[in-house]
This record gives sequence, structure tokens and C-alpha cells, in this order.
Amino acid sequence: MSKKSRSKIWFMVHSWLALPIWFFVLIVCVTGTLATVSQEIVWLANPDIRAPKPSPDAELLTLGQALEKVQRAEPDLKVLSLMRPDESHFALSARVSYPDGSSPTLYVNPYTGVIQGVSPQFDFRQFTRALHGWWLVPFTNGFSWGWYLVSLLGLPMLASLVTGLVVYKKFWKGFLTPRLRLRQGARVFWGDFHRLSGIWSIWFIAVISITGTWFLLQAVLFDNHISISTEGVPPVIARDAVPRSESATPPPQLNLDQMIAEAVERVPSLDPKRVFLSGNAYSLTFVEGRGWYPLMDQTVGVSPYDGDVGYVRLLEDRSKLEFVTESMRPLHTGDFGGLWVKLIWFFFGLLLSMMVLSGLLIWSKRTVSATAKALRKERRANRYETEQTPAETVA
Amino acid sequence: MKTVATPATPHPVRRFWYRWRFHLNILLILIPLGFMPRYFQDVALFRGESGLGQREAGTVDVGPWQLTLAEMRTLPPAEAGEAGFFKQFNAALCEGCSEEVKATYLRIGKPRSLRAAGALFFGSPYRMSTNLPVPTNTKDDALVWVTMEGWDGTVHQGSIPLADASPSTLAWLQNQGDAQ
Repeated sequence: MSKKSRSKIWFMVHSWLALPIWFFVLIVCVTGTLATVSQEIVWLANPDIRAPKPSPDAELLTLGQALEKVQRAEPDLKVLSLMRPDESHFALSARVSYPDGSSPTLYVNPYTGVIQGVSPQFDFRQFTRALHGWWLVPFTNGFSWGWYLVSLLGLPMLASLVTGLVVYKKFWKGFLTPRLRLRQGARVFWGDFHRLSGIWSIWFIAVISITGTWFLLQAVLFDNHISISTEGVPPVIARDAVPRSESATPPPQLNLDQMIAEAVERVPSLDPKRVFLSGNAYSLTFVEGRGWYPLMDQTVGVSPYDGDVGYVRLLEDRSKLEFVTESMRPLHTGDFGGLWVKLIWFFFGLLLSMMVLSGLLIWSKRTVSATAKALRKERRANRYETEQTPAETVA
Repeated sequence: MKTVATPATPHPVRRFWYRWRFHLNILLILIPLGFMPRYFQDVALFRGESGLGQREAGTVDVGPWQLTLAEMRTLPPAEAGEAGFFKQFNAALCEGCSEEVKATYLRIGKPRSLRAAGALFFGSPYRMSTNLPVPTNTKDDALVWVTMEGWDGTVHQGSIPLADASPSTLAWLQNQGDAQ
């Protein structure tokens, strides 16, 4: 096969990878882009999740103090978990359970402990994630087929990247001499745009498509009951380690700050950001947060009765494989380094969405002009045929 | 002699593909639109705003206490690899007894001792849940036993027929029996 026809095939493959499902790919890219900053969008729309400082010198409450304020304000509710978001302009969020059985999230001011609001029925962040992640197809038994549908796109996206770089001859020259011709028609502009944003997005497209393909693999492993986890079943508190109660009511428990202190004493590198309170008399309270590696969490389980550490899961407890697989999700979402990383992910997500669109525009313009050309040719040929005698044609 | 060759008639499948290829997009977009009502139902279910579960099974008397039991979903048990099949139940403790009850367990068949009382409920007393192991050889007339342990050291038990606790599980068991 000649070099020319081979590159033509590559080009065809590249053009056809996303084409029949271009709108689906576009919506997945756009919802993914929105999902990276969905928390910030909610912050803009809903004052309840902001963290206004009551006075310039106000200090942050500890998680234990905040928990106490919430309990005092609403003695009937049970707090299931409490979380301090990475960025300080967000309120604390507390997952709670009410006597009527409902379990919304409360937004708690990190300085005053005041309950600022209840999570609304329509959760924009959850919705964009569900639309982007599994196309709203429900999970009933194992992974939803919508998850497979979306995560399968990782493969054509990776192929688009590879074939794109193959057909774009000497693409590295594009870094040194960027070209974006604005005045030579839409076809030229979109072509330049597609190539220029493509080379600057190589890393991003690689990250998104590889992590996306991991999500596919993850579902396949899970649905076939194959586990690569080195994590055992979280232990429960032994029956005789739960103190006996003198009366018919529960024995006294440590307060949350004492439990967090026990956890940090055991694991000094733990930055406690989330706590999951004991779900029954035999369960530990789990304190979670990052260590030196921004993409993964560490977890310490503490007994609420005596502060005994019953469970530790640190960075170094993970296998090498888990370091890779557990990093996949934060790499995909860009949620590991605060607002700036999110904004970078948002920007490149926007660029990627535009690449789907520009790819389509190029294709349609090229096809339209090619079709027109072909039609013209045919018409001319027909005319020629009717006007000339057969003898002349042979000559 | 003709200068333009007449194109061969394309294969019907090929013609169909050419005609309809971009309509795949429409089909794909219809999926989330179709599932949208279901999505909001599920959000309400998980937030506990449409009841304790998809189907409330009833209240079980357990000594001095009562437990309201519900199926999270009216579906047959889900497979969890070699561990077997599990069915998720939700439960709420009676009003005023949440301080007295230390632990609540669920098991198919009467437990012989507290150590084998079954699956331990986890969550808030207003809405806790557990995954009940369902052996495939469970009899049709089996009872689901609730064991509750008080902080005062007392243990109480009560039961509900599996047929009432989860008709979908019973139907699934009967199908399993037919298949064997």
C-alpha cells in the first residue's frame, strides 16, 4: 500500500470515529466540563453553601464543635457524616437523618455552626454527574448499562488522539508556529482551530480517555466479581470491647474532637476532612483525609468508647496497582488541587467539546463541498454525453 | 461508450446505514430523557422522601419494641460473587426506643445464638439498612427473624414470613427451584 493511501485510511478512520454519534459525544463532553465546576456553579446559585465570615477575626470551628452546634440546634436529628470541603469558601456539609426517615445534606457555617440550609431536591452537581457518568440509566444490579455506554467512549477518544496525531504531519511544529487563520473562511478557521487545540490538549485527551477506559474496566471487573483491592472488610468493635451500660441507655462516648485527636496521634500525616460517625453500637467512627499524595485518601477508624484505633488504611497500605487505579477518578474529574486545577480541567473540557464540534463542522463542510463537486462533475459529464455523438467520445 | 459508469446498487444494509447513521444520536439522546423520571424517583428513594424503601413490608413486634421493615427495592436478591445472594432491607425503630436498642439483626431462619443473629443493621434509628444473605435453598415458608439486643443486656426476637417481607425474593426462590 502506498504511503498516500495509507494516510488516507488513517484520515478516514479519524473522521469516522465519533461521527455517527457526534451529538452524544458532544453532550458527554459538555456535561463532563460542567461537572468539573458544578460545585462552584452551585456556590454561585445558592448562598446556603457559601461560608460567610461573621467577623474578620472569626476562627474556624473544629468538626467536633460544629457537630455539637448542629446537635444542639436540632436534637432529634442524627448526623451520619460531616465533611469540610477542600476550599474554604464552602460551608461544611453534614449528611443527617430525620425522624421522618429523610436523609438530606445540611449546609453548616464553618465559623458559627449555624445550619444555613438543606440540600435542595434538585441537586445540580449530582445531576450533571449522573448524566455525564451513566446517562441517567439506573443502577439496579451492578453497574448500569449507561455507565458502559459512556465509558466505552474512552476507546474511540484514545483512537481519535492517536489517529489525529498520525494524520497531522509534523504536529510538533504547531507548537512553535501556531496558526489560526481567521479571515479565510469557516472551513480553514475550524481546521486550524481543531489542529491547534488538539496539540495543546494531547495530555488532557490522553488523561480523559485513559481514565475513562479505566471506568469501563472497573465496571467489567466489578460485574464479574473480580477484586484487585488489598483492603479487607472494615472491622467491627469486638462484643466485649463495647462497654456495658449501667442503665438501659447507651454508655458515654468520646466527643468527635477527641476521636479525631486519637486518629491524628496514630497517623500524624492525616489531614482530617471527613468523619463518618458510627452507624451502630459495634461500628468504628472513621476519620478520612489526605496525606502527602493529593489523589488519595487515608482512613483511620476509632472506637467511640475508648478512642482505640481499630482500623488504619494509609497510602503505603496500597499496592502499586491501587496507586494507579485509585488515582484514576481524581485525574478524570480534576478534583484534587483546589479551584485552579478545576478551572484548568474546565478550560480543557471546553476545548475538547469544541473539538467535537469543530471536527463535525470540518467534516460537514468538506463533505458538502466534495458532494457539490461530485455533482457538478456528474452533471457536466451527463451534458457532455447528451451533446456529443458516440463516435466523437471514442475519438 | 459511456464515460460515467453506473454505480452498482448498494447493499440494503449499507443503504440503511447511510440513510439512518446520524439518527443514532437521536436514539442516544432519548435514553436520558426516558430515564429522567426514574432518576428523580431514585433520588427521592435514596433521600428517604418516598418512604422507608420501595415497599414497606410491615411492623414486626420484637419483645417490648417494634421494627418497621421495608424492601429498599422490589427486586430479587443481587449476586455478590462467591458470597452468594443478598437482599437489601431498610428498617426504622419504634419511636422512643432508639436509646434502648443496642443492635438489630436480620436473618432467614431462627438464629441459635446472639453470635449468629445475622446481618447487623447500620445507619440511623430512623432509617437503617442491611444486606440480608439469601441462601438459594431457602424454603417457601421461611421466616425472616429480627433479633434486637438492648443496652440493658436483654435479647428479644420476632419474625415475619419471607412471603410478606419480600414477595420478589420468594418469587425468585421459586424460579430458582424450577430451574434446578
